[in-house]
Amino acid sequence: MKRLMLTVMAVLVMLLVAAPQAFAAGAPPSNAKKGTFTSVDMESRTAVFQAVDADEPVTLKLGDSITRDDVKLDKRVMVSLSDAGGKEVVTEISVMFIGLTMGKLIALLIVGFVGGLLSGFIGSGGAFVLTPSMMSLGAPGAVAVASNMAHKFPKAMVGTYKRFRYGQVDVRLGLVMAVSSILGVQLGIKVQKMILNTWGSVGSDLYVSFVFVVILVVVGGFVLKDAITGGSGAEGDEKERKLAKAMQKIKIPPMIHFKKADVRLSMWVTVPIGFATGLLAATIAVGGFIGVPGMIYLVGASAIVASATELLVAFVMGFWGSIQWALSGLVDIRLTLLILAASLFGVQLGAIGTTYVKDHTIKLVMAAVMLIVAVSRGVLIPVYLDELGVMAISPGLAGVLDSISFWALITALATAGVIISSAMIKGIIQSRVEEREAAAAAGGV
Amino acid sequence: MSKKKTSTATYIKTAILGAVTITSYYLLLSNQALVTEYFIKGGYYAALPIGTALYFSFVHGAFASNVLGILGITPKGSSH
Repeated sequence: MKRLMLTVMAVLVMLLVAAPQAFAAGAPPSNAKKGTFTSVDMESRTAVFQAVDADEPVTLKLGDSITRDDVKLDKRVMVSLSDAGGKEVVTEISVMFIGLTMGKLIALLIVGFVGGLLSGFIGSGGAFVLTPSMMSLGAPGAVAVASNMAHKFPKAMVGTYKRFRYGQVDVRLGLVMAVSSILGVQLGIKVQKMILNTWGSVGSDLYVSFVFVVILVVVGGFVLKDAITGGSGAEGDEKERKLAKAMQKIKIPPMIHFKKADVRLSMWVTVPIGFATGLLAATIAVGGFIGVPGMIYLVGASAIVASATELLVAFVMGFWGSIQWALSGLVDIRLTLLILAASLFGVQLGAIGTTYVKDHTIKLVMAAVMLIVAVSRGVLIPVYLDELGVMAISPGLAGVLDSISFWALITALATAGVIISSAMIKGIIQSRVEEREAAAAAGGV
Repeated sequence: MSKKKTSTATYIKTAILGAVTITSYYLLLSNQALVTEYFIKGGYYAALPIGTALYFSFVHGAFASNVLGILGITPKGSSH
């Protein structure tokens, strides 16, 4: 117990050191201003802007791409500024708070629910569909990322609590993974920035999509193979665990004993795994897709323990990330709470679901989601290549690829929802029958 | 053995949590202008969105947990 307390304290101190630069999904934009336009003059292409954090209004120059319709007066907006010859020029204007219609409300609730279900079941998920969903409803990108982040940590907290009660969370493993991940995220962001500066935003999109697709196909394929072969017998399972066994042979002190995962690993093995998770998480923005397989195949935890522990990692990372985004005032709490409303049901249902299924079902859901999401990102690669001028595709084809990408995301969610619900219903029915039979047998004696 | 019967206390607790949850959402959505004004100020005001998210996760999380329990959706081994 004393050692656990010391571990927790060490983790908290490390977090405090790492926190000021910790952004689990990239840093909030520094060249964006929030405020309201009070008047506009299209002849001189200037507009008077009252920023939320300034006492006096300022006159801003409008960039060439800005039209009169873009400048919405007396509405809270976020403007992107670029520095042109010492004068700030407005390059983009987005309305910060989307109007909530009944349709948008229902859409957010449904996506939030399934995202929560997935999160409770495989430890992560939701972000890859929630952020684009909010953006397609009209929220600016930074607000979508911030609002998703602020819903992720309370959801993960509730999920962690539930799964901790079922005895599935390895607290020590989760904390070590979280801290080393946060450090990895720092390097990941630096790499991202370097690519952005060298190749611009399309180059960055292309790089992210490429890494995303390669990792998801390789790791997802590996998990799928394990779910199929490991499910039918112990042989496949044994083969896949070879890597974890090799890791356990490294005995460089300090050694850490992970009780729930039931392994004893050198810190020099665990920390790099977490670091790599963070590094990749900063790039593909879905850390769990790396963290859970990492804990299964490299650390040697079961899928149930790995997915439960990932929730703790998501909570710690999400909490620090949310603080950063909230400090820059980009969280639309209405969006956050709407997704949270449904996802709090989903995450608990997903957590309950894990008590009825075997490891193999968790791996199957994970693999299915990873591979379908890879398709959704992969089909967009030609679009980015077209924008970079490497190849040419027609605008019609680009539109088709865009909608394939969107529907692949929906398919990923729906597939996961169907597998989880059917496995859970089957499990519940079987468990009730067994209980009834046991009761009948006891009554008959 | 049949399923454990839900006690009246659980129903009352769930109803109270439900009422608090609904009131909280109502207050938030009916004061959108106020909420969007202060929650995005950044700096110390960052405590507002973080605190609100935590508050809702406790109240609504407990409510959701109770509802699932009443519906009989409980983890394996706890239904008797």
